Amino acid sequence: MFAPGIRSTKSLTSSINISIAKRGLFKTIPQPPGNIIGTVNDAYVPPPSNKLHGSAHWTFERFVTIGMAPLIISPFITGTAPLDSAMAGLLLYHCYAGFQSCIIDYIPKRVYGSLHTAAMLLLTFGTFVAGYGVYKIENEEKDGVFGLLKKLWVN
Amino acid sequence: MLARNTFSRLGLGLGVRSPIASFSRSIFTVKATPAEENSILVAQRKNRPVSPHLQIYEKQLTAVFSALHRITGVGLAVGFYAVTVSYAAGIVDSASLLSLYSSIPVAGQYALKALASFPFAFHAWNGVRHLIWDAGHEANIKGVYRTGYAVLGLTIVSALALLFA
Repeated sequence: MFAPGIRSTKSLTSSINISIAKRGLFKTIPQPPGNIIGTVNDAYVPPPSNKLHGSAHWTFERFVTIGMAPLIISPFITGTAPLDSAMAGLLLYHCYAGFQSCIIDYIPKRVYGSLHTAAMLLLTFGTFVAGYGVYKIENEEKDGVFGLLKKLWVN
Repeated sequence: MLARNTFSRLGLGLGVRSPIASFSRSIFTVKATPAEENSILVAQRKNRPVSPHLQIYEKQLTAVFSALHRITGVGLAVGFYAVTVSYAAGIVDSASLLSLYSSIPVAGQYALKALASFPFAFHAWNGVRHLIWDAGHEANIKGVYRTGYAVLGLTIVSALALLFA
C-alpha cells in the first residue's frame, strides 16, 4: 500500500530542497515543500522581540492618516494650502509606509533575502530624496506642494 | 478471542472477521528511521495541491476595492515621489512643469487629470472606509457593502467635480 510512496520518495530525496528554484527575474531562496520547515512536533519559535517592530507602527500609521484627512480637505474649502508642509510630511510618511507594505508583501525576506533588504534601503533612500524635494518645493514655491499642484490643475 | 467470538455469536461482529482479515494481509510495514520518515513526509508535501490562483474567484466588490485601494495608492505615491525626487534632483521646477503641462493638448490634460482625480478620490474615500473599520464599525458583510457603495458613489461624484473644477 505504501510502496509507491516509498519508491517515489527514494527518487525524489535528492531533489527535495529544490522545489522553487527560480521566481521571475531574480534569484530566490528555495522554499521547502508546502513552506513547512521541520515537523508538526517542533515547538513554535517566535521571532525575537524588537523595540522597533510591533503594533506601534499600525497605530502610528492610523494617527498619520487621521491627521491627513482634515489637511487634505482644507485646500478645497479655503482655496489655499495652509499647513502645506505638514500635509506634505504626513503624505510622505504615508507613501513610505505604503511602499514598505508592498515590499513586505511582494519582495518577502523569506524568499528574496538580501533583495528585500536592498529594496527597503532603496525605498528609505528614495524617501529622503523625496523629502528633500518637498523641502525645496516649500522653500521655492509660494504655496508649497499643493499650491504647485493647484497651479497645474487649474492652469 | 473471547470477545470476538461473543460478538460474532451475537451478530455484532460488524464484519470484523472478513474485511479486517483481508486488509491486514495486504498491509506490510517498513522499518524507517526518523530521518527517513521525515523524507517521506516531505515528499508527500510536494504532492499536495497548491491553492488556486486569485483569478478563479468571482469578482466581488470587497476584493476588487481592496485591490484598487492598493493599486491607486501605489500609483499616486509613485506620482508624488516622481515629482518630488525630480524636483530634488533639479530636473524640474514649477516653471518647467507648467510649460510641460501646457504643451499637452487639452484632451490629454483632461485624461491626465482623470488619471489623477479618480484614483485620488477613490483612495481618499476608501481610506475613510478603512478608518471606520479600524474604529470597529461597519466590519460586517452588510457594513462592508454599504460603505463600499458609498465609496463608489462619492468617488464618481467628487472625481468628476475635481476633473471639471
